[in-house]
Amino acid sequence: MTRVVAAIDNSATARSVLRVARAAATAFGADLEAVHVLEDGHETAAASAAAVGLTLRILSGEPAEALTAEADRADVLAVVFGLRDRTSGPRPAGHLVLEVAGRTETPVVGVPPDIVPSDRLSTLLVAMEGSTSSSEALRRTLRMSAGAGLDLVVVHVDEDVPPFTDQVQHESDAYLHEFVARHGPALRDVRIELRIGAPSDEVLAAIDSVAPDLVAVGWPHPGGPDRGEVAREILTHSPVPLLLVPVP
Amino acid sequence: MTSGGPAATPPPDLPPALDRRFEGVLLWSSRPSLAVRTARLLGDLAGAGAAVAWIAPLPAASLAERLGPLPPGAVPVLLADGCGSGRAELGSDGLHPLPSAPDGTDLEMLRTAAGAVADRLVRHGLAARLAPDAGSTAAVSVEFSPGVRLSSRADLKRLLFDHGLRGIVGLADAATEEARAAGVVDVRVAVERGRVVLATADAGDVALEVATDLWRRGVDIRSLLVLLDGTTGLPRRAAPVVVPDVREATFVLVDGSADRERPGIQTLTGGAERVRYVLSCQLRLRRHRALPARVAPAEWSLETCDDDGRPSAARDALFALADGWVGTGGPPLAGDRVDRVWTVANAVYDGEGPATHLLPGPVPFALGTAEPDRPVVRLLDLRTGLLHERSGSDGSAVESVRFLSLDRPTTAVVRASVPGGHRTGPPVHEPHTGVRVESGVLSGTRWVRVSGATGGIAAAGLQSRAVVAGTHGRDGPRRAVVDRVVALGTATDMLPGEAEVVDAASRAAAIGFDGLLASHRRAWARRWEDADILLEGDDALQRAIRFSLFHLMGSVADTGEAAVGARGLTGTGYSGHVFWDADAFVLPFLAATHPASARAMLEYRVRRLPVAIAAARALGRDGAHFPWESAHTGEDVTPTSARDRTGKVVPIRTGQLEEHIVAQVPLAADTYVEWSGDRKFERGPYRNLLVETARYWASRIRVEPDGTGHIYGVIGPDEYHEPVDDNACTNVLARWNLNRAAELFDEGSDGVSVAERSRWRDLAAGLYDGYDGDTGVYEQFAGFHRLEPLIIAEVAERRPIAADLLLGPDRTHGAQVIKQADVLMLHHLVPDQVVPGSLEPNLRFYERRTAHGSSLSPAIYASLLARARDFEPALDALRTAAFLDLDDLTGSSSAGLHLATMGGVWQALAFGFGGLRARSGRLHLDPVLPPTWSALEFRVRFRGAAVRIRKEHAHLSVTTDRPVDLVVSGKAVTGDRGTTRFRRHGPDWEEER
Repeated sequence: MTRVVAAIDNSATARSVLRVARAAATAFGADLEAVHVLEDGHETAAASAAAVGLTLRILSGEPAEALTAEADRADVLAVVFGLRDRTSGPRPAGHLVLEVAGRTETPVVGVPPDIVPSDRLSTLLVAMEGSTSSSEALRRTLRMSAGAGLDLVVVHVDEDVPPFTDQVQHESDAYLHEFVARHGPALRDVRIELRIGAPSDEVLAAIDSVAPDLVAVGWPHPGGPDRGEVAREILTHSPVPLLLVPVP
Repeated sequence: MTSGGPAATPPPDLPPALDRRFEGVLLWSSRPSLAVRTARLLGDLAGAGAAVAWIAPLPAASLAERLGPLPPGAVPVLLADGCGSGRAELGSDGLHPLPSAPDGTDLEMLRTAAGAVADRLVRHGLAARLAPDAGSTAAVSVEFSPGVRLSSRADLKRLLFDHGLRGIVGLADAATEEARAAGVVDVRVAVERGRVVLATADAGDVALEVATDLWRRGVDIRSLLVLLDGTTGLPRRAAPVVVPDVREATFVLVDGSADRERPGIQTLTGGAERVRYVLSCQLRLRRHRALPARVAPAEWSLETCDDDGRPSAARDALFALADGWVGTGGPPLAGDRVDRVWTVANAVYDGEGPATHLLPGPVPFALGTAEPDRPVVRLLDLRTGLLHERSGSDGSAVESVRFLSLDRPTTAVVRASVPGGHRTGPPVHEPHTGVRVESGVLSGTRWVRVSGATGGIAAAGLQSRAVVAGTHGRDGPRRAVVDRVVALGTATDMLPGEAEVVDAASRAAAIGFDGLLASHRRAWARRWEDADILLEGDDALQRAIRFSLFHLMGSVADTGEAAVGARGLTGTGYSGHVFWDADAFVLPFLAATHPASARAMLEYRVRRLPVAIAAARALGRDGAHFPWESAHTGEDVTPTSARDRTGKVVPIRTGQLEEHIVAQVPLAADTYVEWSGDRKFERGPYRNLLVETARYWASRIRVEPDGTGHIYGVIGPDEYHEPVDDNACTNVLARWNLNRAAELFDEGSDGVSVAERSRWRDLAAGLYDGYDGDTGVYEQFAGFHRLEPLIIAEVAERRPIAADLLLGPDRTHGAQVIKQADVLMLHHLVPDQVVPGSLEPNLRFYERRTAHGSSLSPAIYASLLARARDFEPALDALRTAAFLDLDDLTGSSSAGLHLATMGGVWQALAFGFGGLRARSGRLHLDPVLPPTWSALEFRVRFRGAAVRIRKEHAHLSVTTDRPVDLVVSGKAVTGDRGTTRFRRHGPDWEEER
């Protein structure tokens, strides 16, 4: 049986993290577990876990290492983290989630601090910008969500203005033909939205219009400070949890 | 790159170069006799589908007697007299002489020359006379008496020197000189002991003609085996442009002296027995189902190697196959993506209204599953329409050759060599999208039928599997060769019957792979004979041009009706909907090269004229209103809104307002009539199309109090601005439509009164066209000059560019940026209808304002820039158009190839660079050549005549098989049967006499 791991701390975000993790576990048919890396006390974290009927498991060591080790376990489907306040603090927003995402091959979820996430995961938005890595992110997400009964929406963003638009009523379908051909029957029930513009801006706009419960975006693996600019930008501004899917 | 099947060890006594299947075998004998066993082998090879030819020193009729009767179903055999008396084709229906290209030489000139040679010899003290007439039409001999016995050529040489002639070479030179003086341009001279032979053709010339005949039957020179029985003259000279250099054939000399080497020729010993052995090896290869070799040269082929294992629908689309009736394509045959294989059929749709789409049909080309991510090599032979494919490597490779028969449309054929345990699956697969499918078994054959809204597509197939150990029966890993033949049946208004397709499959299977291949290859060669364009000076562009012409020819039927959608039969994109793309961009190519296809395209419109009339009524107008976008019924299927590439929902008004198509349809009919001279169509449907569309315009034009006529509220070809008033393109085409209808009916009223014709003329004369006599520029629509003077060429980093997405629709609408040629479409489509000399000012004004956001645009500009002799941008635009799909410039080639752009490429070359037009029973030429090209050659059909036009920088030639009235750069000339040559003289062309 697979697990969704909620990595919680003593902050107020822990409840949101658990909520998202529970929704993901239910959607993907996985067990749910709460873990905490001990730094300075864990009562608040334990109470948050207990409030949803979970017993908190304590991990020790350097947080990124400990959580990476946890994420790397074979039965872990995803690890869910809370993002601390995105605009203040000595460390950049989501630094822990990004660090773990860059080390593990397991998808990780970052939950923004100031949201009330849904109890139920029903709509998943997948962000793509035409690169090979974003195609891989889509493939992994499709595999992960197969059978979960989710409404999948792919937002495909082109940065460049195309050279041609012939007949609008056919052009989008024709353009998507290759895209659909590559990903095959898995896209049969997927809605695809096309955008042109800066990828992060367009994905955030799509989040506004589609109102998904979760957004999936590729995250370069291994990570690095100069990689994943689009994902970082989305992470900073997204009003919904972000699923970072490791891609080469 | 060649491959005749899986690699194998050749038998010890034949060179490796002979261990493959050849498509053509030429036996070249120096002796007139033919052993019975050899004759039988030649016949058996012809029966097995090989293109066989025999050259020997005897008239063709005598050769036919010696060869004897051919087996039933044999491919016709070519026979040629090595002495030059003529060639013929021997088929099941008898012997048919083949014409030789007239070269203006007759026997009298040769006799005159020979007489002069005899006189010269006499003056040098040698007794000489003309030899008795041997009945040859191509050679005359002079016999001379040396007076001494000559036992060697050295003796002859000495004799000639003694008589004041510079040896054998001197005598040959003298004979050549006399021949030229008598008017024999290209003489062949042979000096023998006691004889000088003057001829217009030697055995080498005959072999060149035979090679050309084989080329015209679809046999590439690289696939030709020339078996020389004894030493004769060799065609070592560079061949004329018709056929590639004959040196690329495989030459084998069978004689007694293996130690005498000749460059470029394999030498074998063993005489007649060895000749028969080589022939029997070829027969054995065919009987063991060897695959035809991949031998197409680069200028005739498209080859890709997908070694990354990543699927690419855009790459797959390049390899779509079609026969005018059905098209099929998709990923490699053996793979894990059978769900992506598709089949569509001409004019067979499903759905209703805007959701109408091409019905997905049964799939003939799927060969079971194989592990994913295998490297795939594909080669499309554009000349023969064969698709070669190899996926995987070594013993696990699946190698195949497939085609949709152009000779028997709706017949799909594949031969595949597979590993012994590979399961190929049934001959016919059901489509993988949700459609209504039935299947069953009839007479032991499985059939599948898919039903659409009104019609359907059925298929039945037969396949046979032969297990071979290694290659062609020799030792090695076991493999199997599968031959599959599938017959498809299509119908637009009923369901095709299963009995018909089962029967068709059975009959096609009885012919067999090789027989079907031979006739298919010949059919393609015939199409290319009338349509090829040869470009010297840009090899990559040459190949791209042929790629375009190949798919154009494959996508259009030539009987019944042809509904040519935006992607033709190369994909499912644009749902098979028919736009002005068909009438304005595709039809002209077919009118000029294969008129039957153009007629079929017009039949599509003719059959939907009643619906167009009803549509006009519904709009409160007279006449006929053809829809912007149509499918099965002829009703408009343009949706009213769609999401654009930014995700926004935008209104679509082209269906309501883009009305220039109403004139494009009769203009296409006019183009067909001009090129074909089809009087029956001209007197019937053509008149109906013209009158009803003229009536439409007559009811559409509003005449203002000042007497000018206007057409308000339309969309022109430039779709960035809508709606507009007095779009110049729409108005000038409407004017042409009215005038042409009036002119036609002047010849006989046929239901059109004098008053109505007069009104048409008045409306045409008063119709506003936006032309400004001071600037020479047509205003694209009323108020265009008041828009923001935005020059897209300065604003955008690159063009083509979708300016509406770059700038946003509001800014685009308010600016002078246009999507594609609009005013300039007139200069391209109806150059006689615009003010003379107005091309340059309009090019100067509009080109820099054109975003080329439509894939239709670059080819039109290439044509016009060529007319304006502005070659650098013309070539840039031509390349954009020619490589549009090859380089997937639109990002949407995966859904099918851009047929209109391909038609535009032909027009850019023919109309633009060639200055070619058919007008009033004459063929107009005004060719130009960019400095980087050395020659441009077209083949067209004009009023039944086969015409070949070759343009070099200082020379022009026009070759026809019957007299044609030409106008060359404005000057009338009658092109006699044969070749008329011109030389550049300043700005003019002067006929060379």
